[in-house]
Amino acid sequence: MTAMVPASAGSSRREPALGAVEQTRRKHGDQLLVGRGGYLDDHEPPGTLHAAILRSPHPHARIRSVDASAARRCRSVRAVVTGAEALSLAEPLPHFFDPSLVGGRTTTVRVLAVDKVRYVGDPVAAVVADSLADAEAALDAIDVDYEILPAVVDAEDALAEGAPTVFDEWGDNVLIRFPFAEGDPARALAMAPHVIADEIRIQRYQTAPMEPRGYLAHWEPTGKLTLYASTQIPHPLRTNLSTIFGLSEDRIRVVATRLGGAFGHKFNGYPEEPLVCLLSRMTGAPVKWVETRADSLLVGAREYIHRFSVGFDDDGRILAITDRIIGNIGCLATWGGWSMTYPAGMTLPGPYLVSDYDIESIAVVTNKAPWNGARGYGKESATVAIERMVDLVAAELGMDPVEVRRRNLIPPERFPHWTVAKHLDSGDYRGALDKVVELAGYHRQRELQRDAREQGRTRGVGVAFELTPEGGDFAGSYVRGFDTSTVRVSPSGAVTVLTGVTSLGTGSDTGIAALVARELGLTVDAVSILQGDTDSCPYGFGNFSARSLATGGGAAVLAAREVRERMALAAGVLLDTPPEGLVFAGGHVHTADGGRSIAFGAVAEQVYRRAYAVPGLDQPLLEATKVDRPRNLTHQPDEHGRMSAYPTFPYSTHVAVVDVDAETGQVRLLDYTCVEDCGVQINPRFVASQIYGAIAMGVGGALFEELPYDSAGQPLARTFTQYLVPRANDLPAIRLDHQCTPSPYTLLGTKGAGQSGVGGAAASLASAVNDALAPLGVRITTMPLSPPTVLRAIRSGGKP
Amino acid sequence: MDPIGSAAPARTIALRVNGVELTTPIEDRELLVDVVRKRLRQTGTHVGCYNGDCGVCTISLNGKIIKSCLILAASADGGDITTIEGFSGGEELDDIQQAFWDEDGFQCGFCLPGMLFAARDLLERNPEPSEADIRQAISGNICRCTGYVNIVRSVHTAAQRRTS
Ligand code: FES
Ligand code: FES
Repeated sequence: MTAMVPASAGSSRREPALGAVEQTRRKHGDQLLVGRGGYLDDHEPPGTLHAAILRSPHPHARIRSVDASAARRCRSVRAVVTGAEALSLAEPLPHFFDPSLVGGRTTTVRVLAVDKVRYVGDPVAAVVADSLADAEAALDAIDVDYEILPAVVDAEDALAEGAPTVFDEWGDNVLIRFPFAEGDPARALAMAPHVIADEIRIQRYQTAPMEPRGYLAHWEPTGKLTLYASTQIPHPLRTNLSTIFGLSEDRIRVVATRLGGAFGHKFNGYPEEPLVCLLSRMTGAPVKWVETRADSLLVGAREYIHRFSVGFDDDGRILAITDRIIGNIGCLATWGGWSMTYPAGMTLPGPYLVSDYDIESIAVVTNKAPWNGARGYGKESATVAIERMVDLVAAELGMDPVEVRRRNLIPPERFPHWTVAKHLDSGDYRGALDKVVELAGYHRQRELQRDAREQGRTRGVGVAFELTPEGGDFAGSYVRGFDTSTVRVSPSGAVTVLTGVTSLGTGSDTGIAALVARELGLTVDAVSILQGDTDSCPYGFGNFSARSLATGGGAAVLAAREVRERMALAAGVLLDTPPEGLVFAGGHVHTADGGRSIAFGAVAEQVYRRAYAVPGLDQPLLEATKVDRPRNLTHQPDEHGRMSAYPTFPYSTHVAVVDVDAETGQVRLLDYTCVEDCGVQINPRFVASQIYGAIAMGVGGALFEELPYDSAGQPLARTFTQYLVPRANDLPAIRLDHQCTPSPYTLLGTKGAGQSGVGGAAASLASAVNDALAPLGVRITTMPLSPPTVLRAIRSGGKP
Repeated sequence: MDPIGSAAPARTIALRVNGVELTTPIEDRELLVDVVRKRLRQTGTHVGCYNGDCGVCTISLNGKIIKSCLILAASADGGDITTIEGFSGGEELDDIQQAFWDEDGFQCGFCLPGMLFAARDLLERNPEPSEADIRQAISGNICRCTGYVNIVRSVHTAAQRRTS
């Protein structure tokens, strides 16, 4: 199935493509199914040495001294390095996103801790040996003299007067405050017929990709450095290595290997990235380090308190909201996580029309391990909070929660719609809500709930609307909203796409190949795609914020159009016909009347063989590189002080049905329905797969995923025995449907799929469990909704 | 100066791996998963936890599926191992693998060893499994990408194709 695509002159303009995108299975699926994935740890050149890292056992301590001399004598040890020794070997690490760029505080981070450790897991020294077992054994021979300092673990404690400071030079523990306010919320609240003040707490949890991180460096004696990395973001990683080692970027090659899941956990900025490079330089051999699950589970990604007030009228119309958000970001590091506190506030007031609001999101540092990115990127936190507010309004007025949402959703005619930090692109929010109500059999579920309650069961039905800003662009950092792709045609007609965006198993690689195939009238199989290798791909910003198709995909389409134009000129000469009417389809270039054609590969071959020799064959460059980006970004505040760092706004609606076992506190998810709108779908099957995965993560976060610390600052979840993730028998089948309001601001009309679902799932579960417990006069304001939390709430009988 | 730490006890074991008879030196302390991956270079068997929780290290040993991070290689001496590389027994994908590809039953693919072996094990015991049977059968394996929706569908499709 290949579309007929007319090759009109000047077709490299931003015009929509015609014809359907070929729908295929995942590229390279056959390789993955036989175990030829080529993940980081599958690479091991002969002579590879193995690194182990000594990490702080204390949440906060001064390093008095490190004695590694005994470790150097341990079996097969090739090198040992301490923080003090690394000082002269590596410059400070660049931040993934330096908070000082947006007015926050900052700190200097070294490859290994030098005078102070600030969280359990802070790297202190590293050992390289012939085997990992030997390297790990040698860690025991390193003697670190720590002076233990008071630690601060809880964010509110960290904000209190006189709290220990994580970074002494700051004077307190506030990294940054993000205000988002419009109108006169104080007045609107004072005038509102009803006001509810409440809170919701979201626990620390992360994305736990099945493949942990890892890096394999080879710093050759010639001065060329190659780093294989399980990273989402290879090019900026290369730039950072250049800064850290003073090594020109052209001498460095970073190869992002196939990722066994990433979800933000594999953003760049980790100290192990330069560390393995340094160790390779010291030993002259390839050095590998792979994260253990215990280390992997140190990485934080979420932990918020929302304290909010919502004012509303008798009809359930929301008049004003305030929300003070505290994000416990752990220690500030160079990883890319702390900035999730921005979308956690910016996303509010979500999909609702609220003219008066005052939101403040505060990033607070503590002696927990730092955050890195996580699917949802703080937006899921905003969704949980705003949806909780709407449910409280409904409960207070005795109204149906769906109806309260309907009344407050931004109507279609308001788009594009400004809030102080968002320029919402397009949507039919009520349509998506109505559709999920219908698809879920919502009213029938309410009847079943009544029956279940009569039989003494604790049944709840939850609803949620999730707005998911995507494609974030932060000028001044390397977190950018544009990307670059090259399309190259070889003499045989083989087509290669090289792009700066990466795929994490999301399917965007297959999608980009299919888009290029459509432009050139080829099958997906005839197009290969190269990503993640900084030696061959154009500089790009990798994968985050569901950006791949709207940036690299758009760029690949534009590049394919430019190549097609040149091929059309050549085919016109070869077919002795004007190029304007030529049609690229079925692997051939056809005359407009379909009477004659020439194979796509034959055109390419003739161009390479006869360019400049045959009159008219004078465009032999069958390669084009283009940049694309979504429009709809406002980097500088406009005259009303508004700006928008996200160009597209997919959204989704969710209905969840749960039974709560009042004896055990166990929540059983019985039924789940979602309707999503990510604009135009390039491959609906891959979109569905993304949504399913995101929903499962949101359910896990709502019900049991948690990274608790004890009050002394020790992390308690170090294996999957403590960090519980959803298994197949924890989840029902997910009913999913789509709605499409194309983005007017992206080349293809896409809005981004990949994060939508996390917040909707977490919010609809919270909504359902609270709905279930309502007859008991009980409500839960602390996530996750794990059996102990639910039981505690039930036993409290509604008394706090 | 003598290095601290002495060489670990070692031995040679015999295995049949994906139909090939071989011997390999091992250290007594080595886990089977590490021998399969590092010494035999069958890297399709993955590591996600070394703790028996996730299932990405699943192989078949003497006809039974096991999590290869949970046993010492020494205890597998003389054993017959199938890894994901040898799952179909030939060059082509088998029907279960095909169903996973057709139904988009994976994204990053890291969990496939556990999912494929669990699916085969189930279908051998129960050719017409219900959805609940399938969910139960794969519940020893964690997948973080798919929400299991299309994995369940894949197993279902494989079962249907076999019985029709
Ligand atoms: S690695 Fe064996 S079960 Fe996880
Ligand atoms: S497909 Fe990625 S873990 Fe299952």
